[in-house]
Amino acid sequence: MSLERRQFLAALGAAAASQMPLRAAESSTAARITLLHTNDTHSHIDPFGPGNGAASGKGGIARRATLVKQVRAGIPNVLLLDAGDTFQGTPYFNQYKGKLDYELMSKVGYDASTLGNHDFDNGVDMLLEAMAFASFPFLNCNFDCKGAPALGQRLRPWMVKQFPTFKVGLTGVGVDFKGLVSPENHKGVDWRSPEEALRPVVRHLRDVEKVDLVVLLSHLGYDQKGDAIDDLHLPALVPGIDAIIGGHSHTFLDQPTELQQERGITHVFQVGWGGINLGRMDFAMAKGQVRAASGRPIPVSA
Amino acid sequence: MKPRLFCLSLLLVLAPLACEKPFAAPVPPPSQASPPALTKAEAIGVVQAFADDPGIAAALAPRQAEIKATFDQPLCQCPKGLFRGRNGEENLLGYWVTDTMRARASQLLGKPVRFAMTNSGGLRANLSAGQLKVADIYGVMPFENELVTIELTGQEVMDAVKQGVLHRGGEPTSGVRFTLSGTAENPVYAFIWEDGTPIQPGEAVLAATTDYLYNGGDSIPTLKKGRHPFTTGLALRQVLLDACAALAKADQPLLAPHTGRYTIPADLYTAAREHKLGK
Repeated sequence: MSLERRQFLAALGAAAASQMPLRAAESSTAARITLLHTNDTHSHIDPFGPGNGAASGKGGIARRATLVKQVRAGIPNVLLLDAGDTFQGTPYFNQYKGKLDYELMSKVGYDASTLGNHDFDNGVDMLLEAMAFASFPFLNCNFDCKGAPALGQRLRPWMVKQFPTFKVGLTGVGVDFKGLVSPENHKGVDWRSPEEALRPVVRHLRDVEKVDLVVLLSHLGYDQKGDAIDDLHLPALVPGIDAIIGGHSHTFLDQPTELQQERGITHVFQVGWGGINLGRMDFAMAKGQVRAASGRPIPVSA
Repeated sequence: MKPRLFCLSLLLVLAPLACEKPFAAPVPPPSQASPPALTKAEAIGVVQAFADDPGIAAALAPRQAEIKATFDQPLCQCPKGLFRGRNGEENLLGYWVTDTMRARASQLLGKPVRFAMTNSGGLRANLSAGQLKVADIYGVMPFENELVTIELTGQEVMDAVKQGVLHRGGEPTSGVRFTLSGTAENPVYAFIWEDGTPIQPGEAVLAATTDYLYNGGDSIPTLKKGRHPFTTGLALRQVLLDACAALAKADQPLLAPHTGRYTIPADLYTAAREHKLGK
């Protein structure tokens, strides 16, 4: 990051803080959080080589790590998240079966991820072997793992991240296996309707855990054109989600899509695929409500 | 070499948004009541460059070397490249893949395999012109799909081809020539074997496909009906690698198969892709 940019961000932070009075007892930055996120990295551990159009020269997990460190160095409250489909796409996956992806994501400091359809490409047992290399939790509330108890134990339906003066609730949902994952590869894992699975989870996070922000890691896709439930239609069906970090459709958004729902606004974001961009969303909260939000993709360039 | 990318990034500034949605409490003192004029969104030029994180780079280095050693191994030449085709062009890469599946299956069974089918969605990259490397074949076929042979009737072969046309405007096949005519509302589907002989609905033939399609993947339900499945234990990717290695050994290039396997007028192709083609 160039100096000009750092100075700009610092100025932005100061400007934002001066304009956003929060609860009296809190310092001006206490109820602000930055969500950094990726989706559909598909084993693109190295940057894209030449001949890949606009993606040429972009991406690479070692550079992403630098970017994440820079953001973390300047801001106290940061979560690094992923919306699934970490697996499949380069020889790294064929060679290391996803173990390297999860090992490196752990080193970069991911706080949570979820599972996409391609994460089942080698079946449940090999997914579990790779997950052993992840030091972060996997969030999903709509896979019924009765027939795959080991995976069931590894998945968490939701979690709460406690910050000094606020709490963030996180959960995750996955796309229907039908037509995407061969039955043999998701043996023992059944897909359930995301909206049905999410409703009690969001209610619990809001009303029992009393979190200030609800974040959903979604591998449903941005816009399924009416063929299946997607990130654009989920907020109206499950009110109370503040941010959807999406994946599956490889959608490059320039900024989050804001959708009004009964309990506020849901900010839906997705940053393409392959680690070309790192997504960044910023939220300012007060009294359990989002007061301001912004977001943009950061191209991971050298 | 460090390309400096100048990105015009639209940054939504938090502060003015906060001004638009004032908090209920605390009420700002009167002296601060009038907010400064701020634009809602500001376009800023951002020059961003990120070096590799040394810790990650160090962890990665031995793996990169291992990948390079394995995946940089040369295969045969592919002088003109082999492409999946765009906007209704024939999927010549898919033709080569299915021809290769059929040839290998025939060899394995010691009997002629008359039909092969895979799904275009499973072929993830084109083959660029030049020296092929192991990594290129992994790029085409990254999945751990297995070559499977089944027994189908002539009718089932035609049904499978038709399902591929309705689903995606035609999926890669080997052994059959297909012609679509008529209108989108009243299409005429015509099938013959590649040698020009008619397909008898009741005849039993051997067919090659992948475990993915045989297990019901990608909306070709007829392949699920296949009888006497023989799971070869061979990854489809290995079959392709072996074919390229054999060409290299014989000092021969990989060339595109002939076109003419699918004849579909442009308007009917569009209708098929939009799922507006009559059955």
